[in-house]
Amino acid sequence: MDFSPEFLDAIMKAAAYLGAGIGMIAGLGPGIGQGYAAGKGAEAVGRQPEARAEIMSTMLLGQAVAETTGIYSFVIALILIFVV
Amino acid sequence: MQPGPKVLAYFLGNENLPITDTLLASWLLVILLILFAYILKKRLKIVPGRIQAAVEIILAFVESQIESMLPGEGRKFLPFIGTIFIFVGVSTVFGLIPGLVNPTGDINTTLGMALMVFLYSQYLGIKRKGVGTYIKGFFEPIFLMFPMNVLGELAKPISHSFRLFGNVVGGGIIITLLYQFFPWFIPVPLHFWFDIFSAFIQVLIFGMIAISYISVAISD
Repeated sequence: MDFSPEFLDAIMKAAAYLGAGIGMIAGLGPGIGQGYAAGKGAEAVGRQPEARAEIMSTMLLGQAVAETTGIYSFVIALILIFVV
Repeated sequence: MQPGPKVLAYFLGNENLPITDTLLASWLLVILLILFAYILKKRLKIVPGRIQAAVEIILAFVESQIESMLPGEGRKFLPFIGTIFIFVGVSTVFGLIPGLVNPTGDINTTLGMALMVFLYSQYLGIKRKGVGTYIKGFFEPIFLMFPMNVLGELAKPISHSFRLFGNVVGGGIIITLLYQFFPWFIPVPLHFWFDIFSAFIQVLIFGMIAISYISVAISD
């Protein structure tokens, strides 16, 4: 079987868009991680309200680091959509 | 809709040397920061004025952040880390000005800074620990871990730069999409979230991670 180049190009584009959508499932991970960190942060503030500022900054730093995997998948999705 | 930097012209007509809007914005930012620092330096007073007080607060904050991870060396690393904080912080404000773009929305800007931090931390590691201890650090805990340690070290500038880049570009894409649905008023509050709150947290993270890479490299 041989296909026309336009057909193959369309298949490739479709696969790239599908891949971008599937890849963004990785967004689940940072969501769970950040929510867990926020819950633990709320617990810590409840136990020690006087250390609120310290806990907040530590929590935000940890959440931003936990976001890394989501950012990776986002960059890959961007490449799939706009470059491939 | 095409996100990312736009090519405005080519340097000397060479296809491999594009001049992008982010490049122009970062050059403008560098020139403005140098002018600002020069003028402020001429008018330094014992009793600070408003601008001097604001700059002193920012620098004291950066120094306290360095002190928390590298005790006793806040003053030594303040020029390097402070430059990163100020450059990335002011470039965030640049994204809010119409006609200008955020230089950190370009992977080249963030990767450049991350590579600078990476090379500086490796240099400090070699200088403080000596070449032998530095190379031996790659064979810890056993020599089989050598490829893993090298890869782990090389992944640092990549994760460091992609984090800031992805956040800036992601926020920009969401706002652009919203502008296509509601051209007026509704997307404006989102600028406060994506361009101010989220972006300044990322500036803080970028600087803190630079400090922690340096502290990991020179300790242990």
